Amino acid sequence: MKKNSPLKMIITLSVTAIIIGGLLSGFYKLVYPQIEANRIAEEKIAIFTVLPEAKDYDIVEYEILSKKKGTEIVQIFRGKDENGDLMGFAFVAAGPGFQGIIKMMVGLNLEKTYLEGMTVLDHMETPGLGDKITFDFFLDQFKELRISPSITYIKNVKPKHDNQIQTITGATISAVAIVKTLNKKIAIILELLAGPPGKLKVVAEPAAVAVPAAVAVPAAAVAVPAEGKGK
Amino acid sequence: MAGNIEVNKGDSLIISSSPHLLSKENVHRIMYTVILALIPAVAASVYFYRLNAVILLLVCTITAVVTEFLVQRFMKKSTTAFDGSAAITGLLLALTLPPSFPIFGAVLGSVFAVAIGKQIFGGLGFNIFNPALLGRAFLQATYPVLITTWHDPVAASVMVDVVSTATPLALMKFEGVMTPYWPLLFGNVAGSLGETSAIAILIGGLFLRLRGYVNWKLPLGYLGSMAVFGGIFWLIDPSKYPDPLFHITAGGAMLGAWFMITDMVTSPTTPKGQWIFAIGAGVLAVTIRLFGGLPEGVMYSILLMNAIVPILNRYTRPKVFGAVKQAADRAGGSSR
Amino acid sequence: MAKKTLTYEFVKGIWRENAVIKMLLGMCPALAVTNSASNGLAMGLASTFVVAASGLMVSLIRRIVPGGVRIPTYIIIIATFVTLAELFLKAYLPDISKSLGPYIPLIIVNCMIMGRAEFFASKHPVTPAVVDALGTGIGFTWVLVVLGAIREVLGSGSIFGFAFLGEKIFTPWVVMVLPAGAFLSLGLMIGVINYFTLRKRRAA
Repeated sequence: MKKNSPLKMIITLSVTAIIIGGLLSGFYKLVYPQIEANRIAEEKIAIFTVLPEAKDYDIVEYEILSKKKGTEIVQIFRGKDENGDLMGFAFVAAGPGFQGIIKMMVGLNLEKTYLEGMTVLDHMETPGLGDKITFDFFLDQFKELRISPSITYIKNVKPKHDNQIQTITGATISAVAIVKTLNKKIAIILELLAGPPGKLKVVAEPAAVAVPAAVAVPAAAVAVPAEGKGK
Repeated sequence: MAGNIEVNKGDSLIISSSPHLLSKENVHRIMYTVILALIPAVAASVYFYRLNAVILLLVCTITAVVTEFLVQRFMKKSTTAFDGSAAITGLLLALTLPPSFPIFGAVLGSVFAVAIGKQIFGGLGFNIFNPALLGRAFLQATYPVLITTWHDPVAASVMVDVVSTATPLALMKFEGVMTPYWPLLFGNVAGSLGETSAIAILIGGLFLRLRGYVNWKLPLGYLGSMAVFGGIFWLIDPSKYPDPLFHITAGGAMLGAWFMITDMVTSPTTPKGQWIFAIGAGVLAVTIRLFGGLPEGVMYSILLMNAIVPILNRYTRPKVFGAVKQAADRAGGSSR
Repeated sequence: MAKKTLTYEFVKGIWRENAVIKMLLGMCPALAVTNSASNGLAMGLASTFVVAASGLMVSLIRRIVPGGVRIPTYIIIIATFVTLAELFLKAYLPDISKSLGPYIPLIIVNCMIMGRAEFFASKHPVTPAVVDALGTGIGFTWVLVVLGAIREVLGSGSIFGFAFLGEKIFTPWVVMVLPAGAFLSLGLMIGVINYFTLRKRRAA
């Protein structure tokens, strides 16, 4: 066969693709449980950070209609205390910041009157300025922050009301973006919680990854064994 | 090319290449006139911010001159450190800084402005960007918090407990509060050293204009387009957008229009190019002020337009009359 | 072409034909992820793995693959190793995977890797191909680490995450961890290196 005949080219590419495809899917199967465990551990740490008194949680899913994407699934994490009683709600809020999307985990108390806490999961804000949204002095302001009628912000001075936070000098836009995102999302969550109950999501491996809430680094996830054959 | 004159003695015919009209102007003279024109602005800043202003102005100017001297020493070039251009860079940089700016930051900005903004391109006449603005842009990115910490002139001069306040532009942008004109004009507002008093800068600018060192198209085009473009939005919604007069008196508009955009090195050489340059910068400045993430857009508007000056020079070159297209291109090419 | 020693093939990628500072290849990761020394190291090592492994594969199959589909095959091979590296980091080093973000999958389009495959591995036996790739990878890695270190020291006052400059004595230059700082420091680094190389050559 000639070296550059079309048939040979097709065969070469197909064989390469098949071998590689097999190789990759095998490797993916191998590492997937670990990746999933990392994700769940991170979610867990975030939920226990924003609901400090929670010891366990379950996930309820709601289907809502959004203008852009059609139907969208919203997850609400229901925090339970040591007796297994409901003690609060946690949910993810995401919205545009100064440069990219800011993704947060937000905790709400059982009476739905104030926030239990807030932590930033993901952001692309300017290092040294906008990334102060992940610092404790900023996040602590969201503890026991009243949400009615809405969260407000103030610049340069200490907050005057119990539904108010102080923005960050030099990164006003990031802080204001967070407030806007939160207000929007809280309204949706309140509506969902007031409406018909959602579908309980069955979690594949309940509490297999026991991570103490105090550990604030996702590095703890590395300690989880890699085997996922049990499922 | 200049000064290439051959005189045939005893002959009435003088053969020389252009330019044929020579003046006494040189870099020294121009630069020291510009410094003279900056005196009102400098005086106003010293009046409002006292010691802080004096320290910043001195530190920036001295550092700029010393940097120029050292860099040229290192590159084994004859020094131009004392022709006044480095001093102007330092002065202008100081005028764009907030009065409470730390000294180490001022030193860093001046070194950057002269070494990276000017000398790395080959010195005066070869730099693409206005060195002072480049230094300021570097500082903006380097110390974003320090450079946006403003103080009331009164509080700063008392030097007891310095209150941090917002500039008129930040007030307008983030809180929708307008500052009245009189303080804007005379300088009793928070801001950088040189952006406080519009009148002082205007006096210096007009003096430069009278001496003929300022091309009137540039400040007129810049301030004019800011007023017109800002005015359009003001007419659409006067409660949300500031009026034209506010645009040209607040912030660094005056300083930019008279001392930054008119920089002979970094502005276009052709009349058409100058109009495009100035108007484009004005529109950009207003756009950034109204819709951008920052309250002030003068610095970035001028820097961005600086970047396209070579293109403007190229495409707005006047036509050579009586030449065929190709020949004209060749003639244009050889003169560069 | 004169026969060159393996040492030569290895060393040339580290300095004389360094991908970043001499050939200006792989600029995107070099600029994008070097906001800290450890990020630079991780990106450098991941790229070294990809360039070495794909060099090995390309050299192995260089006689089987028809010239017409050479490039697509190389791309598939490179993409495979990049995906392996990405999944590995995601599973076992989630922190690094998070801070490098989309730049790990983007190793695929790093010209340095394609360049080594096309210009070297496809024309040489396995041993020199791997040695050349390792040299290139190490050359890439040290530049990224140095660049990352410069930017981290100036931009965050720390090195490899270890803060040795307190906030009181040194106010970090935020610009250095921003993209502008990457361009500035890489440009100045290459400029300084060129200045001294030229001066040495002129003196010689």
